Amino acid sequence: MVKVKLSEDLKEEMKKLREEIAKLKEQLGEVTEREHEKRHGIYIDVGNHIRDHVEDVMESVTEGIQGELEKSIFIGPGGVRITRKRETPEEEGEAELDFPKAAEVMSALGQEHRLKILKELVSGGKYINELQEKLSEITTSTLSSHLKVLEEAGLVVQEKMRGRYLITIPGRTAYKMATRITRFLERGDQEWYHYTMK
Amino acid sequence: MVSLHYEVDNTVLKTTEPVTLWRTEKGTVEIGENTLAVPIKLDDQRKGYIFHGHGKLLLDTIVETQEGAVGKPVESELNELFLMLGNAEEIQQRLSTATKEDLTKMRHETEQGFIDKAKDLLDNFIGKKVIHNHEHSGNDHGVIFAFPNEKGKLDVLIAKGSKLVYKAINQVFISNNDKVILKTPTEMIVSSENRKSLVIKKHACHCC
Repeated sequence: MVKVKLSEDLKEEMKKLREEIAKLKEQLGEVTEREHEKRHGIYIDVGNHIRDHVEDVMESVTEGIQGELEKSIFIGPGGVRITRKRETPEEEGEAELDFPKAAEVMSALGQEHRLKILKELVSGGKYINELQEKLSEITTSTLSSHLKVLEEAGLVVQEKMRGRYLITIPGRTAYKMATRITRFLERGDQEWYHYTMK
Repeated sequence: MVSLHYEVDNTVLKTTEPVTLWRTEKGTVEIGENTLAVPIKLDDQRKGYIFHGHGKLLLDTIVETQEGAVGKPVESELNELFLMLGNAEEIQQRLSTATKEDLTKMRHETEQGFIDKAKDLLDNFIGKKVIHNHEHSGNDHGVIFAFPNEKGKLDVLIAKGSKLVYKAINQVFISNNDKVILKTPTEMIVSSENRKSLVIKKHACHCC
């Protein structure tokens, strides 16, 4: 009787051990696979709750850009990033600068009040009275004419319904560049050089 | 499933005062006084109109991202025939019978001439097919506009509450409160709450 009981206990113990080993092997396999993927830059872990959303977005993105991007796609907990090879200067069109347009943009930037307007808009869209409050040294009519110049240059856009003024992506970029150039000229700040050369 | 058959009525009307056909914080469609209108009927019920007069379309097809705004507002004069489905009852009270003089002002020699053009527009919109879905009836406070464009096709605006879809030659704009998608020939922007967005240009892409 005793012999039989021991054998059953042993069998039960062996079964538990086998299950434990199988579980450990499985976990080890997962870790190895993940590390392998990380090393090769295709680590994907976005969590179940947002995976569906990301997939939807990526599906529409892929349709929209099909055949247009030489791309690497990185999906991680922080979001989705798509990069491509850096273009050569020829591809970037540096040789095809639209001089009149460039002059118009630079001219729009070449006024102290207009730069102040852009600074105010960087923090978010504003109505003209809000801008007037922030820039009390400018009269309403002058403010309007400055906004018109910025709008014509494509640095600012006005909502037709609500009337708010918004800074555009080129507007924000131009303001950043103006800041960096000024900082570079004033202080010899090397950051700007590295920013533009990299 | 219900089979629907839209048809143009044989009555030519005109607006007795300026009318705002649709308005939200994203845009507006307005027509002036003496704008010609021919009803679109569905089983003898007015479901919309085809208008011809002087009006305007404003639409803020702008997306705010953390890197700045993208897109420009649409601002166009409505001087050609255009179609509207939905919101028909409210407008009915601001219409009266059009006279020959009203037709002449809009360069229509006869009433039938205007009705024929309206039929062409409706056919163009529904593709000369019977619509098999009650969702297209323009009920439930939704409104659909179709504006002929210079390519001979139709720019379509669909609005219901804060939801909006605008499809034109050079852009598609979809908006639902803070969630916006804008697609132009050169870029596509997907934006959600707090201006978080994905910007895809023809030769580049980034999240912000």
